[in-house]
Amino acid sequence: MKNVEASIKSGNESLKTKISELAGDLGYEETAYHLPVTYALTGNAVKNADDARSAYQRTGENPFVACECYTASVTAENGKEPAPFTGFLPDADLRKMGYSLVDGSILGLALVAGSPPGADVVAGICRELQEKYMLTFLAGDVVGTLAGSGVKVGAEYRLVPLGSTPLRGIHFVDIIARVAMMFGGVSPGDPDRLISYARERAKAIVIVFPGLNDEEIAFIDALSILGIPILSMGGYEGGNWHLATPENVVREGMDQKGIKVTVTAIPIPMGCSPAFEGKSIRKEEMHVEFGGGRTPAFELLRVRPAADVTDGKITVIGPEIEDVPQGSALPLGIIVEVAGSAMKKEYEPVLERRIHNFVNYGEGSWHVAQRDLVWVRLSKEAVSKGVHIRHIGTLIAAKFRIDFPNLLDAVQVTLITDEQKVKSALLEAQKVYRERDQRIKDLRDTDVDLFYSCTLCQTFAPNHVCIITPERPALCGAITWLDGKTAFEISPSGANQPVPKGEVIDATTGEFEGVNRFVKKASHGEVERCCLYSIMENPMTACGCFECIAVMLPETNGFMIVTREFKGLTPSGMTFSTLAGTIGGGAQTPGFAGVSKNFILSDRFLQAEGGIERLVWMPGQLKEELSERLLKKLSDSGRQEFFDRIADETVTTTIEDLMDFLAKVHHPALDMPALI
Amino acid sequence: MTLQTQNIWNGRIGTVTIGADRAHGGTRTLQYTLGGEQDLAAVGPGATQQRPLIAAEICDDPGIWSPIVNTFMGDTVNDTAGWAGTMESEYHPDIVRLHLTSTRKRNFKDFSGIPETVSGVLKSTGLPLIIEGSNDPSIDSEVYQKCGEASSGERVLLGTAEAGRYRSIAAAAMAYNHCIIAQSPIDINLAKQLNILLKEIGVPYDRILIDPYTGALGYGFEYSYSVMERIRYAALKGDQDLAMTMISAAPDSLNIREVREARDDETDRTAATWEFYTAFSAVIAGASIVCVRHPLAIPLLKSAIDSIWPHSAGREA
Repeated sequence: MKNVEASIKSGNESLKTKISELAGDLGYEETAYHLPVTYALTGNAVKNADDARSAYQRTGENPFVACECYTASVTAENGKEPAPFTGFLPDADLRKMGYSLVDGSILGLALVAGSPPGADVVAGICRELQEKYMLTFLAGDVVGTLAGSGVKVGAEYRLVPLGSTPLRGIHFVDIIARVAMMFGGVSPGDPDRLISYARERAKAIVIVFPGLNDEEIAFIDALSILGIPILSMGGYEGGNWHLATPENVVREGMDQKGIKVTVTAIPIPMGCSPAFEGKSIRKEEMHVEFGGGRTPAFELLRVRPAADVTDGKITVIGPEIEDVPQGSALPLGIIVEVAGSAMKKEYEPVLERRIHNFVNYGEGSWHVAQRDLVWVRLSKEAVSKGVHIRHIGTLIAAKFRIDFPNLLDAVQVTLITDEQKVKSALLEAQKVYRERDQRIKDLRDTDVDLFYSCTLCQTFAPNHVCIITPERPALCGAITWLDGKTAFEISPSGANQPVPKGEVIDATTGEFEGVNRFVKKASHGEVERCCLYSIMENPMTACGCFECIAVMLPETNGFMIVTREFKGLTPSGMTFSTLAGTIGGGAQTPGFAGVSKNFILSDRFLQAEGGIERLVWMPGQLKEELSERLLKKLSDSGRQEFFDRIADETVTTTIEDLMDFLAKVHHPALDMPALI
Repeated sequence: MTLQTQNIWNGRIGTVTIGADRAHGGTRTLQYTLGGEQDLAAVGPGATQQRPLIAAEICDDPGIWSPIVNTFMGDTVNDTAGWAGTMESEYHPDIVRLHLTSTRKRNFKDFSGIPETVSGVLKSTGLPLIIEGSNDPSIDSEVYQKCGEASSGERVLLGTAEAGRYRSIAAAAMAYNHCIIAQSPIDINLAKQLNILLKEIGVPYDRILIDPYTGALGYGFEYSYSVMERIRYAALKGDQDLAMTMISAAPDSLNIREVREARDDETDRTAATWEFYTAFSAVIAGASIVCVRHPLAIPLLKSAIDSIWPHSAGREA
């Protein structure tokens, strides 16, 4: 058993001696990068022993510089090692290798060094590395041992034998250094950039067998500075070396470095592409449906410990497609269980929302709504091609793996179609939904320093910017502040960006200096100011996805709200769609605002204009939907009688009758300060 | 002729250099630096105006090409290198765009033929090149590696990256120091997204050209026009992720009904005219490179471009 720390010390001493004994010229051929590691670290081209010594001094006796100069000197003296050893690889090979890395045809680099106990062990590891698309470099006895096992080595097999001793593994480092300079824009002589490039971009691991001497240990250990995990197969103790077994070493290493094997094709008998997202399945085209009010249905995504999730496992509990006649309605519970070291519980709702897109990607599958309101259909055409209920699961699992490769390591899906089992699982799901709502419910805008933006809709409203706060969800109602935060964590350059609040300009109208700055930039200079709690003064722009529109009615000194679902005329004299056409497209329209249903219940809604008591009219359906929560909000402040003073279409849809009604019920808006 | 600007813009289009002459490590007789505009096409002070470039398209397998062009060119189309040379010497385009249509054949395996074709074309013309590789993700890796390697040092423009498949092209551009065409299906946000994806993988912005994709004039071009305009507005308003030069090609111009049904003695004129009007509209929408297949479209484009951009505004660096 070798003690790593002690060996590093003595190893570095003997490397130092080697450097002091160097003589003559050194250098590699067929490269523009001289001695690449030394060149990358110092910016100097080492051409002889004196250059080498000065570089070694300048880098604070860096073991890579020592190994590289020593190896170059040995090569200069004795020539290249005989085949199969490749020795230093020319730049042309490097370009090809870098190409494969960027291209994705190889996923990462591995260095295997040391003296394996037997051919089978190392052959198994190397085969696994090949299967996982790793490009593997071999240095030391491992090459000979492997040859004895019948595994073929050579670049074409993605097993590159660098040299006969572990120190020749320095070529592995010169490859990383050159890739950083060729592809990563790292300039020679900038060690910080080199290290950060290696840490963030170089997907590399090293596997060490026993038998390394002190110098070799010092060299291997230095790899950890580059963020390369060192996996030990035994024989070493101490240091930051991770002990692994032949069975788990490749997986461990790839996990530690975050190297993921990606899924490409989805094995289901129907097409799957965003191109099919907008295609709906009408009743006559439908083979079977789930939910939509006809049967109980829900969807739920949970994060689980890795041991509890088998990637790609799909389970159907209850009847399959052949068990039911065409035109049936089945209950459905979609339970997606995911595991991943970077996955967090807070991500659950954001990922769960993606089930909607994924199911719609299927050529013959269709999905609307969310949570326990879902409605799913499979088309006759798809079923005739062999699509089963389980394929919904296959599709969901595969798409999650493809779209969130850095987040998820395993995804399994359970589809319940047995009515009793759906009902009992539904109770559990509803508990989770409530917990999630509770998390955001108690959060106030004043509790946070960051809001989140949403510019998802800039596709069709190029200057629209949604600002999402804990109390004001996106106007589409689909993204809360927590979702915005999560979406940013998952995809840092995506449509949801953090917006620092900055100085409060006006706490009543909800104008913040940081928000204004962000909105101006994100609206490409179109919108200078944005008041989050006002509709009359610099209101938020509207894209077109709003759940509701709030409209000022000058005659009433108040506001009405109309929902997307309400098809009739409103007291404004316009229908929802006419209003939507007027205010959408990313414009700022004082007196009009797109809002989500939940925002109506917030104290921030109409704060600048005097609060909820400005509300004079809303569709009966919305009133009913909000009634429980709205009544509670009103009665908490002793205003429960206000609820009945809000008119709906059963009272009137004309402004004249509305005025009569408001006067009759003594609507508070009539006595509030004039809006204009 | 330039119009007075109507807007105060705060953005500027980034520059991109295509082709490498001997002084820059290549063998081209000239190279172009495109971009740098601070206003819409043909608007604003002349100093920011770039003369748009004309690319003549050729291919290495005329079996997959417009029969109109094949008939017009005769035997020339069977000799890819010769075709490139003829285009340069007789029709004077600014760029040659080589489509490796041979790779579109089922079970294409002749990867070693690619470097031969590419170096043949590089020898027969001194103009900067655009190389269009495969159309099939399963062979992309090998095809683009060969394209990139064979034209190493020449700073070609490699096409065409899309959101679903851009890695091989990006890899070739990074490994062999070329530029790439990033194509999105007539959608400003997808154009931006692809640029961000390319940036994340490590392609610098000064190597990317946007192709917003288009149909022929009268067959959907108006959508592209509008998207090109919006991309340019966004860029001029300061959106760095869209501040790239644009390229436009509408090969469908040769397949539309009016061209197919033209009288035999009118076919060439109709084809060339349709290509010309589509390409010229793209120029006005902001394209810096427009691509045509019918040789007779080239002189039409040249004289139209000359009428707006005096020849001296070209950036033959």
